[in-house]
Amino acid sequence: MRTKTLWLWLALLVTGLALVAAGCGGDDDEGGDAAGTGATTDGGGTKAANQEITINWGTEPPSLDPGLASDTTSAAILLNIMDPLVLLDEDNQPQPSLAESWDISEDGKTVTYHLRSDGKWTNGDPVTAEDFEYSWKRTISPDLAADYAYQFYGIVGAQEYNGCEKSCDALADKVGVNAVDDQTLEVKLTSAQPWFVQQSAHTSFLAVHKATVEQFGSKWTEAANIVTNGPFKLESWQHNNSIDLVKNEEWRDADSISLTRVNGRMIEDATTSVQAYEAGEIDVNPNLPTEEIARIKETDDYEKYTSLGTYYYGFNMKNITDVNQRRAMSLAINRREIIDNVAQEDQLPTTGFTPEGMPGFDAINPESKWLPENGDMEQAKQLMEQVQNPKTNITLLLNDAPGHRDIAVAVQAAWEELGIKTTIKTQEWAQFLEFIGPPPDKSVDVFRFGWIGDYVDAINFLELWTCESGNNSTNYCNEELDRLVDKARATADNDARYELYAQIEQIMLGDDGDMPIAPIYWYTSSYQERDSIRETFSESLLGQVDLRGVEVRE
Amino acid sequence: MTKLIIRRLIWTIPVILLVIFMTFILMRQIAGNPFRTSERAIPVEIQRNLERKFGLDKPWYEQYWQYVQNVATFDLGPSLVLRNRDVNDIVKEHFKVSLELGALSFLFAFFFGVLIGALSGLRANSWVDYTAMFVSNVGYALPSFLVATLLIYFFALQWDVGLPTSGWDTWQSKILPVIALGLAPMAAFARLVRGTMLETLQQDYIRTARAKGLRWRRVVGLHVLRNSMIPVITAAGPTLGFLITGSFVIEQIFAIPGIGRYYVTAVTARDYSVVMGLTVLLAIIVILANMVVDILYGFLDPRTRDART
Repeated sequence: MRTKTLWLWLALLVTGLALVAAGCGGDDDEGGDAAGTGATTDGGGTKAANQEITINWGTEPPSLDPGLASDTTSAAILLNIMDPLVLLDEDNQPQPSLAESWDISEDGKTVTYHLRSDGKWTNGDPVTAEDFEYSWKRTISPDLAADYAYQFYGIVGAQEYNGCEKSCDALADKVGVNAVDDQTLEVKLTSAQPWFVQQSAHTSFLAVHKATVEQFGSKWTEAANIVTNGPFKLESWQHNNSIDLVKNEEWRDADSISLTRVNGRMIEDATTSVQAYEAGEIDVNPNLPTEEIARIKETDDYEKYTSLGTYYYGFNMKNITDVNQRRAMSLAINRREIIDNVAQEDQLPTTGFTPEGMPGFDAINPESKWLPENGDMEQAKQLMEQVQNPKTNITLLLNDAPGHRDIAVAVQAAWEELGIKTTIKTQEWAQFLEFIGPPPDKSVDVFRFGWIGDYVDAINFLELWTCESGNNSTNYCNEELDRLVDKARATADNDARYELYAQIEQIMLGDDGDMPIAPIYWYTSSYQERDSIRETFSESLLGQVDLRGVEVRE
Repeated sequence: MTKLIIRRLIWTIPVILLVIFMTFILMRQIAGNPFRTSERAIPVEIQRNLERKFGLDKPWYEQYWQYVQNVATFDLGPSLVLRNRDVNDIVKEHFKVSLELGALSFLFAFFFGVLIGALSGLRANSWVDYTAMFVSNVGYALPSFLVATLLIYFFALQWDVGLPTSGWDTWQSKILPVIALGLAPMAAFARLVRGTMLETLQQDYIRTARAKGLRWRRVVGLHVLRNSMIPVITAAGPTLGFLITGSFVIEQIFAIPGIGRYYVTAVTARDYSVVMGLTVLLAIIVILANMVVDILYGFLDPRTRDART
């Protein structure tokens, strides 16, 4: 073949491809156009004609079975396709949803939900209290092996049923969940738990449609099979690719829903997410890479939400035994600098463990003097000198997600000034979890960790530090703290309980506190949002996006 | 030839058994709890329930035997982490995507690689050659994720040519990922073809062919190219395997629902059944790819045919 012919082929191929790509440009085959970008509106825009949006769920939900869902993506979708008993408002107080009212007995141990009569499944069946009894017992059952079964342990008989190994059906009947009639659900608790109704807003407490589950087994959540009862329907689910929702016109309150369709992509890579947003392919992006946040903050698309979560460094108290050393190490950390220059998401510097935004925060927050916003190197050094046998060779263990290493390096430099040589070790997630146990591996002196709230009460944060807690990897054990936690669990009155929480925070991080951890910041959540939905779109403290209130405006 | 194929196929069985065994041992060696996905610790009762449900409380040899049976019956079991999916479903839905991505990338790499390599070979040491080799070296040196991000930035974002940033549905969405994945193999093929071509062009039989009066076009097409293909075919087998299995990064960046993403995620999550199932599947692919290469050899190069039988 002559060279010229080869050239010709090459040129033809390239030109052909370019022409084809350019010529067919502009045609968007992927469902729903992105909502119009339009000019900036200052509040009170008018409702647009096109009420379709495209969002990025971020990743494939591991399961859309409420009994098995244990992550935020599944919860985000379930919140919108199902009808919970209660919904949390901006103050995180429970508001009626499928339950139009509820009574709590004098002793606080019995909660009775009164269900609306117009709840309906997408196949026409009415939603009844039996659905909830069935679903809750199913989640608690040992056969389902649900991760979140522990959420129900506050209910009489639940822990026993869940831990049963054989002949378990008898124990199922003893669980304190009972459908008195079609519209009445009675729950018996092991003790007064004032946050129970709030907690029942969680996805684990959603009902599933019994006949569908029994017919399709583990495949009941596929789009072709699933039966739901919420404001949106799951129209299609292409695994690891997309989940599309459409408005459920039969829903009991369908008139209040503006959105007609929600197309959901699953773009895990943060950089691609940003590019998809900026190319107009998606209208909301929750997935921002740390390096780009500084740039995106300057744009009009940026939005920040507070989250209920604490980022902290935990001490292995068996290795770093002197409380003054732990206090010194905490004092040395300049949280403001880390937030402004390293993490860069406008996080909040911690002044205690329980995050801001938690009800009762003002009463609970210890404003610990060991957690100064800008650090206090002088005092840290002084304290360090008082330590008899300081541990000067420290191993700091991190998991390998982005961002942790940069923060660790900043902290390493701070501890250097105290005469502490820090070795940073990074491990992948599953390995990391094995190392911190509890109990933490001998080689671990300090580890990075975080806690995101399950529900909106401080007990969720403070009970982590009891002696037996499976989430306490610090070897910290203070019986007084345990006693206070138990007492708080039995205290119905909010103010009295907040007072107990305040005492717990003092025990941990107060002036004479034991300092098992050095909290660093309280999480925030960053988004890119189009002007057309900015007014109505928001993420709750628990990381939930409720599409019920979202409306596309011009 | 048939004897060769049958022999190869029989050998596959012990290889697969070894693969299962090694994967099994290795996965158990790296500690980690498949059920603890978030920072929350799992209460003892629930951990026990999960282990019982997935048979992880049985002794290791029973578990191993279970896996072997699974593979033999092509029922690879449920995923430990994705509670509503079976490994078979995952393979059925996502393997074809990776296969398509891998095959398209391979074709892109092969076609352009041979073309560029041939051009360079025929016009050795000219500016054509230098440019082509420079471009292909750059393509080879740049990591695929960098190429991918750059392609998205320019073609999907900055220049409005109608290409989406991600996804795998329309034919437009397939262009950028195929290029990103195929660029490095294309460069490799180009170099190989160029090199072999240069060598072949020196051969006596080429000179004979020209002396006979054959047209240059026929000489190149019939003799030169065919002989230059051999190293390319050698490289093609494992390349195809690599493209199908190593597409994880590209799948991640372009949000393509292929098998690569599942594989790496499954290892991190300690999803034993998915890891086992996918490893076996990929081992079979590599074995088959190599077998195809060997057979092609026989057709392309009669010398090997004689040596073999």
